[in-house]
Amino acid sequence: MSARGAVGPARQATEVRTVAVGEWRESCLGERDRGGRFCGAYAVRAGEGCRWTALFAAGEVTRAVSVALGAGQPAPTLVDLFPAADWDEREAHDLYGLEFEGRAALRPLVAHTAETESWTAPVGGEGTYQVAVGPIHAGVIESGHFRFHVVGERILHLDSRLFYKHRGLERAAEGLAPDAGLAYAQRACGACAVTNAVAYALAAEAALGLEPDRETRRARTLLLELERLYNHLNDVAAICAGVGFAPGNMAFAALKERALRLNAGLVGHRFLFGSVALGGSGAEVSAARAEALRGELRELGEDAARAWRELTFAASVRARVDGVGALAAADAAALGAVGPAARAAGIGVDCRGSSPGLWYGSGFVAAAPPRASGDVEARLEVRGVELVATLELLRELLDEPVGPGRSRPVAADPRGVARVESPRGETVCAVEVDPAGRLSRLHLRTGSYANWPALAHATAGNLLPDFPLINKSFELCYACADR
Amino acid sequence: MTAVAALVQVLGGLALAPLLPGAVQSLKARLQGRRGPSPLQPYRNLRRLWGKSAVDPQPTTIVYRLAPCLVAAATAPALLLVPIAGRAPDWSLGNDALVLVGLLALGRFALAAASWDTGSGFALMGSARDLTFAVFAEPLLLLTLLLAALPAASTDLVAMSAAAGGAAPWGEPAHWCGAAAFALVVLVETGRQPIDNPDTHLELTMIHEGPLLEYAGRDLALLEWSGAARHWIVLVLAAELFGPHWGGFWAQLGWLGLGLAVLCAALAVTETAQAKMRILRVPGLLAGGCALALVGLASALVGGLV
Repeated sequence: MSARGAVGPARQATEVRTVAVGEWRESCLGERDRGGRFCGAYAVRAGEGCRWTALFAAGEVTRAVSVALGAGQPAPTLVDLFPAADWDEREAHDLYGLEFEGRAALRPLVAHTAETESWTAPVGGEGTYQVAVGPIHAGVIESGHFRFHVVGERILHLDSRLFYKHRGLERAAEGLAPDAGLAYAQRACGACAVTNAVAYALAAEAALGLEPDRETRRARTLLLELERLYNHLNDVAAICAGVGFAPGNMAFAALKERALRLNAGLVGHRFLFGSVALGGSGAEVSAARAEALRGELRELGEDAARAWRELTFAASVRARVDGVGALAAADAAALGAVGPAARAAGIGVDCRGSSPGLWYGSGFVAAAPPRASGDVEARLEVRGVELVATLELLRELLDEPVGPGRSRPVAADPRGVARVESPRGETVCAVEVDPAGRLSRLHLRTGSYANWPALAHATAGNLLPDFPLINKSFELCYACADR
Repeated sequence: MTAVAALVQVLGGLALAPLLPGAVQSLKARLQGRRGPSPLQPYRNLRRLWGKSAVDPQPTTIVYRLAPCLVAAATAPALLLVPIAGRAPDWSLGNDALVLVGLLALGRFALAAASWDTGSGFALMGSARDLTFAVFAEPLLLLTLLLAALPAASTDLVAMSAAAGGAAPWGEPAHWCGAAAFALVVLVETGRQPIDNPDTHLELTMIHEGPLLEYAGRDLALLEWSGAARHWIVLVLAAELFGPHWGGFWAQLGWLGLGLAVLCAALAVTETAQAKMRILRVPGLLAGGCALALVGLASALVGGLV
């Protein structure tokens, strides 16, 4: 345990810089040159106008570059410098009425217009046609509309339209007390409830001038890894279902069910809802409990290894996943892909290695698949590697009991920003608190949100019947976008 | 005894056919560690669908309306062509294998035409895939039937069944090639993995399910029964033409029952152990089957069977 979070500040620092409109693009480019990775942008209402902020991840520090915009004043676009900013700009346009200059007309993202042409890319040529799927699907799938432009079975381009169940959670949380806002962040999504809640808690604590102590950090890390465990088991099962391989699907679905029951036994909720608290730890584990959990996890790990071995030697599955839905490393980086999808493409982004507010320590190394080909196989393999690492982390964390935790007061950051690795990638939460101590802005950008454009890109050139498999290999969440 | 064969043909084809996919589904569930539906589930589905009303998509024409009846009407006489335990009553239809191929193709055509009539994307995709596979599946069916027809010197299914009886055919490499190639016919005609996944709810991957999506009520009941009857036809053919059978009528009837049980179990095992293939690999697989049948044909020619 020596390497894990022993020294230094226990939170992610945020450096804020406000620049003039004329310097906006140069400043953001400068952040890239200093090693910053674009990780989201959000608007805040300020008087008649708006404050527009871009976030850059640079190791343990998050740098925020802000620009104040008057009423109706357009912001220079970032999308040509950072293609990953596309959704952020379109969302700010739809929800905050922000205009951007220097880019093609913004296609609606959150606002749904009647004309298909307004939100799809024009695709022409001989024999091209469109296949529309959703927003109502046959299985237990969230609402999303996919429009495939195809020739024969070959996909030329995919336009996806989400936000069918946009709930306005961010706006609803404004004006609340910070501890009441936690539930809003958590409820953004069921499958990343812990990640969203921990990201919110870390961001809000930074804004309030609190720093989590050792036990809080350990408890939150434990919960995060339990969440990753059941998600990764689920995702492997989903890939098996995507190719119609029932034994793999059944084996991993059963393992996921065991992980969910373990969660329920620990915190009283299968999906770990309500297990994170602001300003302290919401989960305690006694010594006897930790011992029992270690035993259960060891058995689960052995069974998972056995099921994984079966999968490794299933030739018909291997033939299906190899080379399908490939995402090149350069594209993954440009589109801002995160999580297993990025790591499968050979980009070693994993903010668990730079999360001082948690208990991973500086020795954490991002998982790498045996072959970083960026295809479905690599995304499957990277989950296999991460499952082993997660079980090992859980074993280490449960070596000793997790006691009650409490945050310590420290100097407050003007804006709290936290980045936490969800099972789908980096989740960024920004929290701003007004002088009265109420939430003035809550912004949540999840791993799913970051990866949706990469999924659409990886789909192009593949066969239409392979899309469900490619989709499952990303296993992105719709609710995270429809927050 | 011919009367018994007639009874099995009619009652078996009409009433027992849904038991075959039901048994495969039920056994498959057990193999996969699920409790699964009862083997009788297809009957419950048919009863439920028969009592339901249907809504036609607009605009559609008589092509769409008639397709379920046409599919069922093409499947029903096909049932009467297939001999049971080497016997077939005289229904004044003959028992020609080529007529059977034509009737199966007619059902496929009717459903494809209905898909074009509705213009539904998923129906069209499913039909287009089915027709693409049919380009390979129909020659495969013809070639395997030819292999069975050579020893009988006739395309009469009763004669073919008789020629395939006993131990003698198993000394011919052509018979083995035909049996292996016909296994692929069974997979493609029943729409099972690794060629199609009958359990999927993902519209984008559908083949045989796709054209059925627009139908409801009695239309769907007719189509589902036809699907079950297709199972019956190809599995009985497999048992009669390429399965071991000898002895008198009653012994052969026993062999048929055993053959059907073994084939259903084989389908369940295949579907459990094999993932679905990439769709563009399927024509290659079927072409491989054709090549195997041609090898059998060459061996028959060299061996002087002709």
